[in-house]
Amino acid sequence: MVMADNHNHLPDEETSLFPGLSRRDFLKFCGLLASVIGLSGPMGVPQVAEALETLARRPQVVWSLFQECLGCSVNLLQARKPDPAQLILQQISLNYHEAVMAPAGDQAEKSFDDTVNSGDFYYIIEGAIAVKIPGAMTVHGRTSMDIVRDTYKKAKGTICIGSCACYGNIQAAAPNPTGAQGVRDYLRGKGGIPDAAVINSPRCPGQAEDTIAILVYILVNGKLPELDGIGRPKFLFSQTIHDNCERRGHFDNGEFVEQFGDEGSRKRWCLYKVGCKGPVTYAPCPVNRWNGDTSWPVKAGPCIGCSEPGFWDKLTPFYSKEPGIRIPGDISPVAIGEVLGGATAVGIAAHAIIQTARGRMGKGGPLSEEQGPVDQPGLAESKKADKSGKGDNQ
Amino acid sequence: MTKVVIDPITRIEGHLRITCQVEGGKVTDAWNTATLFRGFEIFMKNRDARSVWQFAQRICGVCPNPHAINSVQAVERALGVEKVDDNARLIRNMTEAAQIGYDHILWFYILNAFDYVNVPDALNAKPTTPSLMAVQDRVKAVIQSGQLGPFANMYWDHPGYKLPPDLNLELTAHYLEAIDAQAKANEANTILGGRYPMIHHMIPGGVTQLPAYDEIMFYKARMQEVQEFVNTVMVPDLLAIAPYYIDLAQTGKGVGNYLTWGVLDAPSQNPYDRLFPRGALFDSKLAVQKVDPSMTRRYTKHSWFDDSVGDGKHPLDSGQEPIDFTALPPLEGDQLPDGKYDWTQAVRLTDQDRPMEVGPLAEMLVAYASGRADVKSLVDSTLAQIGAAGKPEILMSNLGRIAARVLKAKINADNAVGWADELLANIGKGNNRVFREIDLNGSGTGVGGWDAPRGALCHYVRIKDGKTDTYAAVPPSNWNLSPRDDKGVRGPVEETLIGTPVVDPTKPLEILRVVHTFDP
Repeated sequence: MVMADNHNHLPDEETSLFPGLSRRDFLKFCGLLASVIGLSGPMGVPQVAEALETLARRPQVVWSLFQECLGCSVNLLQARKPDPAQLILQQISLNYHEAVMAPAGDQAEKSFDDTVNSGDFYYIIEGAIAVKIPGAMTVHGRTSMDIVRDTYKKAKGTICIGSCACYGNIQAAAPNPTGAQGVRDYLRGKGGIPDAAVINSPRCPGQAEDTIAILVYILVNGKLPELDGIGRPKFLFSQTIHDNCERRGHFDNGEFVEQFGDEGSRKRWCLYKVGCKGPVTYAPCPVNRWNGDTSWPVKAGPCIGCSEPGFWDKLTPFYSKEPGIRIPGDISPVAIGEVLGGATAVGIAAHAIIQTARGRMGKGGPLSEEQGPVDQPGLAESKKADKSGKGDNQ
Repeated sequence: MTKVVIDPITRIEGHLRITCQVEGGKVTDAWNTATLFRGFEIFMKNRDARSVWQFAQRICGVCPNPHAINSVQAVERALGVEKVDDNARLIRNMTEAAQIGYDHILWFYILNAFDYVNVPDALNAKPTTPSLMAVQDRVKAVIQSGQLGPFANMYWDHPGYKLPPDLNLELTAHYLEAIDAQAKANEANTILGGRYPMIHHMIPGGVTQLPAYDEIMFYKARMQEVQEFVNTVMVPDLLAIAPYYIDLAQTGKGVGNYLTWGVLDAPSQNPYDRLFPRGALFDSKLAVQKVDPSMTRRYTKHSWFDDSVGDGKHPLDSGQEPIDFTALPPLEGDQLPDGKYDWTQAVRLTDQDRPMEVGPLAEMLVAYASGRADVKSLVDSTLAQIGAAGKPEILMSNLGRIAARVLKAKINADNAVGWADELLANIGKGNNRVFREIDLNGSGTGVGGWDAPRGALCHYVRIKDGKTDTYAAVPPSNWNLSPRDDKGVRGPVEETLIGTPVVDPTKPLEILRVVHTFDP
């Protein structure tokens, strides 16, 4: 195979300030990241490049694993732009990650202590905190509660990757045997740090490209991205799966998969009737797709809402039609007044869906009331804008 | 006596502590302690039968596919479905083969290699090709920056590192290539499953949809690249490093009992006909015995559950409650683990309560002893190449565990594309069927039994009126990382560690190596 940086030996290439990375690859990387964090257009690349190049040392990262399955880290290894080796060796200094690092035991602890005590590191957390049975999650004899509380205080910024670190996720499913909690809820809990601030980057698993985009956003802008009421960056999590779904046209046409494997499924019609949670799920899956842009969940089967807090209890059963969504073409007495024909009808239907979803979620659903209007261009919007040639550099 | 504790064991999935008693430069006793508990069997009660596999695959983010398949198979059998449509079989096999391909590459390089490959020593190599020079520059840049990141504080000065600098550089280069190769395998999984990890195309009764022609061709292309990597990089790497570490063929025999439920279905969908067939070996004899998941017993005297939870019961009759967490054994001081010391339950097979080693070594030995021609010829030719012709029992060792995983990766990769071709042929004949509706309001008891890459995995379910009444999962780490059972018999990893030489108890590289051979 061809290594990503093989051509850094070519004499005509200016080298970048990043060891082993050619200038051309570096700028390519900056361009990609600029578009992901919403700095599209010609101004974005130099802005990202300048921010990264002014870093004298690679930013140090400590990555804790708590109640998890390693899925988020495994997905990080699937990143294609940049590839994981480039990210881990050249963009950051990954000083502590139990699944990746060479040393074990006391020597691994030394890597942890040296970095954390320096105070010069970003803290990434994968996995939930075991609160009811603290002994259900320990590293080197310390509970996840102790580790996260002490380390959070010393970090320059804390990012929770994946739904476990964000909201507790599967181990918090009823009856939550170990008392699993998301990091923010734990830190802000009784006797804790009331104003604890973490960035939540949910999805199950947490997605590599989300992680990279958030890291670069912080490095470029020197501040945390604007968050919604449950800690998610608005630039990634302000639209539903349904908003940008490739099957959406079939929803609007009233074309549905009625049973798995049927003719509609071969035509890739809408999965709403077989349980898709896309209309009530805020996540960038359709645009920030998976495994090097190979595919995304709804291309293969119904969305299960894995970025939403409490989805294991609130959005199950998964393969049953989610209630409260009005289907186009379903001429019920309520709907008749809204069917005006043509594009207008579609527009109204789409609007109704989003209103229904938000209304439902606001009343005791996964999303809090603070879920506000979108006031920053989302990933989806900036990508769309690029395609139409109307990208701006906001 | 010296107590050696490694916590955390790194480069694994999960959270693990190993405690060893070292006397006279050797391990004389050992205890494994899983330091994470989540409670899957508790929160998987009373769940909708169609949804439950989505919970199940979250047991392991490194190997969600076999958990998904176990779960849908257990539900299917509980509701009276013994076979799925042939297209569903092929699609499940295809994504499982991608899963195995990625997993074994990930293990050999990303999780295991640093125990044998001395990365800083790669700077002493004298490369002649541009690609190796580029890798050396890359390593040099990291080391000269003073920010060693994941390479900091490793036992790089340990005398156990035996490879010459040129091989250290080449293996470091292959480590970087392996990141690409495992991603390719996962892209093959993703094109059918929607993403990796955590797939979306499984459903009790089959799979969600028939893949499009271009998706099948994408799968083939990716798996051909994986096959090429395994055949031209990974297998040669095994043969290149084996002579330097041949002493590992003399250590680490362990319990000498091997179990596999089998994996990758044949058209019959009979577990004894699988590419890696079901079976067990006992007492280091290459004689296959038929086994059934109902022979599994659980014990909890040394686990953080009440003693009565296990007590030799079938998995569906035991569970994970009541929890009885006492305390972690102390890190410091001379006190050794005693009483309850593990979140893992001890699982044993048959009324004789046999501890069983599981994993690719078990799969390859059972296939070999079952007379599978491709496995037999590959194993025999490999043995000849390392100077052990006619001695398959040499595989029952630390080196054998490593070799078996690499050779299994080859058999797996050599077969993956064939299933894609069979699927195309079925579609060509007008067979588009991938799913059959099941009456999901029914009741019954069902069992999976389909190996994960790290070994024997079985899910058990009792369904009442379409909902899970009881759910049990016995993953491979329950077998390999069993604590002592109620009679005090050690689990396989504990037993295998006995006799391991330890040159320097403050740098227990040899212990780390043995634990890693199990892909824990």
